[in-house]
Parts: sequence; structure tokens; C-alpha cells
Amino acid sequence: MNSEDIQNIFFVECEESLEAAEAGLEACRNGTHDGETINAIFRAVHSIKGGAGAFGYGPLQAFTHVFETLLADVREGTVAITDDLTGLLLLSLDCVRDHVEAARFGGTAPDDAALMAQLNEAHEKAGTADAPDSSAGGEAAPAAVPADDDLDAMLDDLLGPATPAAPKEPWLFHMRPHGGSMNNGSEPLYWLRELQEMGGECVACDSANVPPLDDFDVQHGYLGWSFAMPASVSREQVSEIFDFVGDDCALAFGAEEGIPPMHPDAVEQAATASVETAAGPVPAQGDDAGKEAKDARPDAAQAASRSPKPQSIRVDLAKLDKMNDGVGELVIAQAMLAQRLADENLMHIEELAVLDALVRDVQEHAMAFRAQPISAVFSRVPRLLRELASSTGKHVNLEVTGETTELDKTVVDRLSEPLTHLIRNAVDHGIESTERRKAAGKDPEGTLTLSAEQKSGRVVIRIADDGAGIDRERVFAKAVANGLISPDADLPDEEIDHLIFAPGFSTAEQVSNISGRGVGMDVVRQNVKELGGRITIESCPGKGTTFVLALPLTLAISDGMVVQVGGQSLVLPLAHVVESLRPLASDLKGMGTSRQLINIRGNFVPIVRLDHLAGEELAIDDPCKGVLVIVDTERCGQAALLVDSITDQRQFVIKNLDTHFRAVESVAGATILGNGRVALIIDVDNLVQSENAHPTLQAAA
Amino acid sequence: MKQATRILTVDDSPSMRALLRNALTTNGFEVEQAEDGQEALDWLASNEVDVVLTDINMPRLDGFGLIERLRSSARHSNRPILVLSTESSDEKKRRARDAGATGWIVKPFDAEKLTNAVRRVTHSA
Repeated sequence: MNSEDIQNIFFVECEESLEAAEAGLEACRNGTHDGETINAIFRAVHSIKGGAGAFGYGPLQAFTHVFETLLADVREGTVAITDDLTGLLLLSLDCVRDHVEAARFGGTAPDDAALMAQLNEAHEKAGTADAPDSSAGGEAAPAAVPADDDLDAMLDDLLGPATPAAPKEPWLFHMRPHGGSMNNGSEPLYWLRELQEMGGECVACDSANVPPLDDFDVQHGYLGWSFAMPASVSREQVSEIFDFVGDDCALAFGAEEGIPPMHPDAVEQAATASVETAAGPVPAQGDDAGKEAKDARPDAAQAASRSPKPQSIRVDLAKLDKMNDGVGELVIAQAMLAQRLADENLMHIEELAVLDALVRDVQEHAMAFRAQPISAVFSRVPRLLRELASSTGKHVNLEVTGETTELDKTVVDRLSEPLTHLIRNAVDHGIESTERRKAAGKDPEGTLTLSAEQKSGRVVIRIADDGAGIDRERVFAKAVANGLISPDADLPDEEIDHLIFAPGFSTAEQVSNISGRGVGMDVVRQNVKELGGRITIESCPGKGTTFVLALPLTLAISDGMVVQVGGQSLVLPLAHVVESLRPLASDLKGMGTSRQLINIRGNFVPIVRLDHLAGEELAIDDPCKGVLVIVDTERCGQAALLVDSITDQRQFVIKNLDTHFRAVESVAGATILGNGRVALIIDVDNLVQSENAHPTLQAAA
Repeated sequence: MKQATRILTVDDSPSMRALLRNALTTNGFEVEQAEDGQEALDWLASNEVDVVLTDINMPRLDGFGLIERLRSSARHSNRPILVLSTESSDEKKRRARDAGATGWIVKPFDAEKLTNAVRRVTHSA
């Protein structure tokens, strides 16, 4: 991009700015005097002025400067917006337009003397005779602005005389950076370096104030320097280095001056420190406190002006959980109220709807308190990959997306183990060795992709590798060898892939020390299940494997199905429920004396009666009159739970039975229903397992 | 060879951005650009630079605001931030210093002036 291109950008910008300013002024004339409108006008003119300066359009810059000065008054409110004023501003804007045209097409600049005088007059009337910005220098008076387009001349004009009065001979310069000179990214070392590059020579360094190491405070400046500067360098050039540092670095010029003293606070600190050292190891408490208070004051003042307003507070997790419990109770109470009102035919009163919305809001916010970004887990992965690289020799690239996705803290905490296992597996078994990858025409370095996203109320985490994919033949053979399936089983690919989750399954020909630690993928699946989630596999031979974890956003609240057993209500966690049906007598098969099976599309599923759990007889005895809820279990496949009826499906807050009563087998906890009654939540896995183990006993009981 | 110093310029004027890019790249700096404070803040949330060079008067989030927001995060508390402005009043400079600016460059600028100012706050060639 050459300078002509850039100038063209400037002129296009000028047009835009002129339009914006005109629109703003029109709005002003129509009575819109708000800060943003005025600021937009100011900014437009300011931007033209900036560009005019940069490109050396003197007359345009001079005029826009005067214009801007008045606009600054308007912005500050020192000049009132009147019709006369907006008229003057609009005229001035036209003049700017003429200036821009002149600059762009090389015409003569318009005669703006009269307008400038008017603008100046309006500005002076405001009583702020000083230009608000002194970069103007002499510019406020139009005569001082050079009429030529020479950028250098312009620069010199703005920066002062081109050759400032330079001393005729080498001269001495002294400096002492105080502690503040290290704030905000400043680095005194660079100043010293710049002085040296100018030809300065360090002739003295005052290190007398450096305290013993124990008393050393990094917030103080202890050193001072003297430099001999060559005659060719002016004081102004040196001062410029320190221009913005202000009082944070003390300066002195000339041989008669010495290195400036240390900052009073620092001196005091150093003095106190040495007194303390002399007094021995036990400092007088009063003195110490006094010293700290004094030290703290400048810091506090700095903190007040510079540092961050607090954006977060720390809350004890236990307090938060207590509040979340309270919110849970609130949800229940609200449901109870709703039910009570429904009984009175008052379901649709407006207040209830308002309460409903508020409770839901509060519940969502309370859940958000516990939400943590998944990056807490993802951030540990690079290190894991480095460790794996050194132990397996496989260098794996990592791609991460969606690390800001938020999950319940408990889920995040408990996710790390299964995730680590999956990643170890992906690197160990999924991604091939470098040689094999090269042979297959792949990038010699494998890639692991981690992603997280929120999808329909769940968080979906994908762990994808670009390795060889699951070797289905080997998995199949292994499953047959382990007796998991029969050799003639005809399984779809997907089901073969899922065999690796079977307990005790491991296909690595040599159990390596990476993933073969006795815990298999079954443990991973168990972990995910415990979090109320599901894990599935998508694998493509030669291209890689993806594990997909679908996790709930929170553990505090679950969906459940309310069923009736006799007079009892029980809650079945919805995550387990596959389907519900009323069986035909022809589908039922007896087995032995105590067990019944139901034929569901060719699969025989044991029927589990819930009587003994509820402690009440089922109202019905014949399964054909009740309802069978088919549930999925962790270790025992499917089971059909026999209940009298399904009455409701709702969200519930889990109350731990252990803390309120005692642990009860096959019961995961309790919850309070809308009618105020307590309902037990069934631990489906446990129930079906114990039923399978002792069917006769339980039937007898 | 050391990696080039990476500078984020923040300015709402397209011509100023073009000038800055031109002046800085020809001096061996790597240049990233944002159109206002908010965009700069968003960009910095996921990117790193050695120096931030910002205009003051900008829509959405102005230079003072940008500096204050950056200084309030630990990641940027020591980042050199230079102000590039047509103004040079002590009052404005003091405000910038209070906000946490590291240096101040008066517009108009030339390449040498920019380079000097950047060198004053970074290890750069």
C-alpha cells in the first residue's frame, strides 16, 4: 500500500466523517443534544483533523483544529447549543468540506478567516480562553500554521524548534527511578539503554541505599545513575524519554546537581528496616504497624486510582450449596402450592405464573453459581499429552474448542478421570505409531480434538483422534474369547464398537503401562453414568475414533417418572427408562416358581415387582393389568419393573437419605412431591442387580 | 533472529490504521489492528501482543476505558500500552497515566517517532 492509497482511504473517511457530523448537527438543530450526538460530531471533526495533520494538509488541519476546539467546549457544556451556534457549526462543516475538496483535487483552499474568527470568538466567549489541548501550540492562531504541505515542517512545528538549543559541551544528567516507574509495563532498564544509545555514558551509580536482602522491597527504587551526555544531545531529547514517566522518575541536569534523593516513603522504609535490624529480631510491634500503615498508604492510593474494581467475590462452596438446597426447597414448595391451587381450581391465577417464572429464574441463576468452564479439565490435557509423548514416543497435536462451555462443578471435578482415561486410550490404542501413519499416508503426528458444546440441555463433549479406528475383527474375536458373545453372533458395527465398554475388556495385545492399568473402558462408562451421562462411540476404520459424552448441566435436579405401587409413589430416574408398556398375557413366560419374563420383540426381560421395595402390595397382581417400565441397567441389561400406574413426569431435587435417615438398599434418595409427600427414588442398578442375585428370597419375602 | 515485536493498534480511523500499519510494518514490527477499544479487548482476550498502541477518542470503548479494563486483568497488568493522540495536554496525559498508560505519542507521528516510543517500552529490534 503506497501513500497515495492511504491518502485515498483518508479522503473516503473524510466523506464519512463529514456525513456523520452533518447528520449529528441536523439532529442537534432538531433538538437532540445528548452526549453521544455531540461526541459523534466531535469525533468526526477530530478524525479529519488527525488525518489532515498526518498527511500534511495544513489549512485543513488549522481550520479543523479551531472547529474542534469549539466542539470540545460544546461537549464539555461550556458553550450552550443555540440555533445560532448550530448554524455556525453547519457553516464551518461546509468550510471543512471545501477544504477537503481542495486538498483532494488540488484546488485553492477556501478563505476561512472570517469563519475562524467567529469560531474563536464563540470559544472565547465560553470563558475557556486556553485551548483544551495544547498540541495546538501556536496553531490556534491561524497565521502560525505553515501553509505548505510539507509533513516534516508540520512535525517540527508541532514538536517545537527543529534544533533545540543544544549545550556546547558534554553535560551531566542524573536520574533516579522511584518504585512507581516500574508500574504499568514501564521498564527503567530501557531508558538507561536509550541514554546509552544516544551516546551517553554511565559515570556513576548510587547503590548506597540498597538494603539487606531481607528488607528489600521490589516496590521501591533504590538505585540512581549519573550519565555524561555528549554535546550533540539536547536536554529536550533526554527529557522526552522521561516525559510520560512524570514524577515516578526524578531527574536533574548539570554538574552542579547530584543524583536526586530516594523517594521519601522508600527512605523511611529503608531507615525503619535498618533500625529493626539493629534492634534485633523482635521488632517493636507499634513501630512495625506504623511503618506498614505508611507503606500501605501510597499503595492504597495507587490501587484506588489504577486498580481493578472487584469483579468477583469468593464464596465458600458450602454456603453456596446451602443456598442451592434452599432453592431446591423453594422449587418444591412452589410445586406444592401449584398443586394445592390446582385442587382449588385456581391453577391459572396470574400470581402463580409470576411466581413460577421467578422461581425458575432463581433456580437457573443458582445453578449458574455452580457452573464452571470445562477448561478446568481441558487445560490439563496438554501436559498429559506431553507425558504420553515421552512414554509412547507418539507426538500428538491438540485442538480444543468450546473450552468456555460451563458445567456443574461436581461434573467438572469428576470428569477429569474418565477424560484422562479416554485420552490415554486414544493416544495409546487409537493413534498409530509414526511409521504406520507414514505408511498409511497420514500426517506423522496424530491429532486429538477435544470439543465441548451445550446441546438441548446437555453438555456434549467429544474426544476425537485421527488414528486407525476401532479394529472390529479384533474386538469381536476378543469378545468371543471372553465369552461375552457367541461366535456366530451377527452384530452391527456400532454394537461391536460398544463391546469395548464390557467389564474387563482390553484389546491391546500387550497391555501397556499407559492404559492397561486394570481399569477398563467399563469404568469410564460407569463414571459417566454416575454423572447422569451417556457415552457413545463413532469410529471409522483408518480415519479415527470419536468418543461422545453427553452430560447433564447439573446434578442437583433430575428428571424422573413418578409411578404408583400400592399406595406409594416412587420415582424412577428418567435416564434409566427405555419404554413403558402394558403386556399381553401371551408375552409373559414363567421361569421356575418365582420369576417371570416378558418377551419384548424377541428378547426376554425379567420382570421385577416393586412390592417389597414399597413395602406395600401392588394393587394389581396380574402384570397384564399393570404397567411394565423397561429400564436399562449398568450391569444386568434390561429389566421390566412392574408398577400399578405411571402418574407423572417431573423434575425432582434429590435429598440424600443417608444424612436424614440411613442408607437403604435399592433407594438412591428421596424427594418431596408436589402434594408434600415424600417419595423414594429408586436406585435402578442396585435394585435389578440384587433382584437377579436373590430372586427367590425376595419373592419369598 | 528474534521474533518481531507484535503491536496491536487501536484506532477508529481507517486512514490512521493504514498509516500505522504502513509505518510499523516497514520498521519490522508485526501489526494487528482493532477499530475501537471494545474490539481490542475482545481480540486480546484470546491473543497476545507485545505492545498496545491506542487512540483515545473512539466509539464504544475509548482509550482510557480500554487501558483501565486491560490493567484490571492480571494478564495485561504489565503490558506496555502507548497512547497515540493529537492531544498533549497535561490533564489528558495525567488521566492516561492514572488509567495505567505506559507512554504517550503525539499525533502526527512518523515512523521514527513510533519506533522510538515502542523501543522505550519493549525489547525490540
